[in-house]
Amino acid sequence: MKKTIVAILGATLLTAPAAMADDWPTRPLTMVIGFAPGGSTDIQGRVLANVMEQYLGQPVNVVNQPGGGSAVAFTRLANTAADGYTFLFGGTTALTFTPIITPVEYEIDDFEYLAAVALGQNAIVTAADQPFSTFDEIIEHGRENQMTYAQQTPLDEAIIRRIAEAEGLDLAIVPTGGGGGMAPLVLGREVDFAYSGGTHAQYTPTGEMVVAAFMSAERSPFYPETPTLMELGYDYSIEDYRTVIVPQGVPDEVKDRLIAAAEHASTAQAFIDITEGNTFFPVVFIGQDEMEDNVRRIRAATEEVMAD
Amino acid sequence: MDFSAIGAAASEALTLASFIGIGGGVLLGYIIGVIPGLSRSVAISIAIPMTFYMSPYIAISFLIGLSKGTAAGSAVSAILLNAPGEASSAATALDGYPMAKKGKPKTALQVGLIASVLGDIMATIILIFVAIPFARVALLFGPYEMAAILAFALVFIAGLSSGSLFKGLAAGGLGIFLGTVGLDNQTGLPRLTFGYTELMDGMPLIAVAIGTLALSEMFIQSEKLRLERTTMSVKLEHRPDDHITFPIFKRILPTILRGTGVGTFVGALPGLGPSVGSFMSYGMAQKASKTPENFGKGEPIGIAASESADNAVIPAALIPLFGLGIPGNVSAALLIGAFAIHGITVGPLLLRDSPELLYSIFAGMILASIIMFILGWFGLMVFAQITRVPPHVVIPIVIFFCLAGMMLQGYGTFGLVILMAFALLGYLMKKYDYSFVTFLVAFIITPMLELNLRQSIILSRGNWEILLGRPIALFFIVCTLLALIMLTLRTVRTGKPAAGAATD
Repeated sequence: MKKTIVAILGATLLTAPAAMADDWPTRPLTMVIGFAPGGSTDIQGRVLANVMEQYLGQPVNVVNQPGGGSAVAFTRLANTAADGYTFLFGGTTALTFTPIITPVEYEIDDFEYLAAVALGQNAIVTAADQPFSTFDEIIEHGRENQMTYAQQTPLDEAIIRRIAEAEGLDLAIVPTGGGGGMAPLVLGREVDFAYSGGTHAQYTPTGEMVVAAFMSAERSPFYPETPTLMELGYDYSIEDYRTVIVPQGVPDEVKDRLIAAAEHASTAQAFIDITEGNTFFPVVFIGQDEMEDNVRRIRAATEEVMAD
Repeated sequence: MDFSAIGAAASEALTLASFIGIGGGVLLGYIIGVIPGLSRSVAISIAIPMTFYMSPYIAISFLIGLSKGTAAGSAVSAILLNAPGEASSAATALDGYPMAKKGKPKTALQVGLIASVLGDIMATIILIFVAIPFARVALLFGPYEMAAILAFALVFIAGLSSGSLFKGLAAGGLGIFLGTVGLDNQTGLPRLTFGYTELMDGMPLIAVAIGTLALSEMFIQSEKLRLERTTMSVKLEHRPDDHITFPIFKRILPTILRGTGVGTFVGALPGLGPSVGSFMSYGMAQKASKTPENFGKGEPIGIAASESADNAVIPAALIPLFGLGIPGNVSAALLIGAFAIHGITVGPLLLRDSPELLYSIFAGMILASIIMFILGWFGLMVFAQITRVPPHVVIPIVIFFCLAGMMLQGYGTFGLVILMAFALLGYLMKKYDYSFVTFLVAFIITPMLELNLRQSIILSRGNWEILLGRPIALFFIVCTLLALIMLTLRTVRTGKPAAGAATD
């Protein structure tokens, strides 16, 4: 363990924790993932656990607790001892969006948002052989024709419904049950356009699917030509951060160790390769202060969109 | 066909790791198949966590090898104990056990093994050549077609597997009802979750499947153990004339071919399952025979008919799975979960997105058949010893695996409570002769049917005329209506007993 710490001394200097915290952790940690194995959160989480393990010198065991888009995992986490040995890795929509429409037994203040290491990718996609490929062309086409849209969450549906109303589109919106159900509908041209939370990364490289616009706040570095809805003049975005989250009340020195491990991961080649190369999620490092603000800001904005 | 993909697939299929993985799967399946009461779906549910750290190809081939092994292994206990390791080998016991009692247990075991392996290999080849054209047209199967096929499957299975129409409706209705639990897939509002976060994604499938299939069976086995302490095992002796001969092989070969045909057809239709296949094949063999009176008294043709169909169902059940993304039976449904764990969406896009994986799996399946033959042929006498493991040792081990399998799902104590509730439900359904197969298939199909029906209604904007341009959907809607009419007629014709059952 000592050896590892010496090896990454350079990275640690910036966020050097109190001396006593070097002893933490003294036993294996548990990383909770709120989705089934195999999805993008799971893939990223397993690599992250691996990299954090090297940094902390104790095993980090991954436990999948799927259900309700991470709501089950957050419920459990809220009732876990705040010693830092159990933490969650995943997106923030179960906090910024789910509680607005579904009764859940946790709230934003039950947790602390230590560090974000990847940016969520929310996109509007369409098939390559459609007569339109950009978002403006979709709107243009929709003014003359009846259109269909495949949703995955009530939030993306609410945003698209508002845009459709504003632009005078005759739009039918169908549920898909997730990215796996969305792809055949888009590729089989059963729907004109659809929401994608990251599934498009599997289909855009072959040229079968195109991203018409991003719903995220910023453009994706992997699709630099594709604008965001904000840039197109629609004041909506779906922001999501893949974040390391602990229950409220974890001691400061323990939090510092976890934050330092997450920061180390955000510069580790293994984590960058998988996250950017396989799942097309940009790797970032956003510290606790900014993340606490982000989560509350997104929640307020989402409440506004979902108000009606 | 993509030949570079086939070449790459063949080279992956022939690595040492894949030999060990597939061989291990077949061996484990064979052992589980031999043990009465341990069914194929139990074996797969228990084995899925073992595959977490395998490559997708080895994981899937391991699980398919496991299914194949159970189908071949179940014949051993059917023949030697008159206690089929699987329900689908019940037809094997009809002639296998009498033949073993007549002093030819080894011949009976060899006939069963050869029929199993041939049925398996031929059905795998049919899968390879049918699943691929299926996959090409699969994008024609939009929400309308899927909704129509699912409705047909629901009615067809309910009609086949239930003796009494009313008991069938009750079991199917309960399955449909429980299948609606969870968050509404469009609005995200909770339905029948009673505030339990754990139910947001619906009743956990693994709890429902393990509970009604495996755990409830253990209750029934323990009860039997208490009531009847007799053993019916056949002694194995080395007798020079007790082995398969070429004349016997020639006699059973046409039956194996027909059994494979029946098994493949039954397997390719979603929901029918191997029991229907083996009994249908046995019945057809008896009808075709010149000496039908020999059936049930140790006729090798009877063993061959049942075992070839039983094994052919397993690869054939993957035709709708790979071609359409619809599971052919419960074991195939569990395989969908296993694929999902490895990040693969099973269905029409699999061939296009990962052809190498698909061809590797096909190669692995052929390899599994060959390993199964070698293991079965040389290990026949060893496997036969497994039948001597007393039930009071087997039952607690299985119960432990059921509970451990559920804990691995991450539902905690809540999951165990749900599991126990469904075990009790399964026990009562078996006791009072309600078809738990109908229940389970309805439970699995309902969420898919709901989503596709909903998509169809929204996308068509309520115009049913859209179906006129959708011949495949129209065809299955007509089939569903015909199946409904035939079911009703059958009930009216045999109206008395069904009505009696309803007023019990």
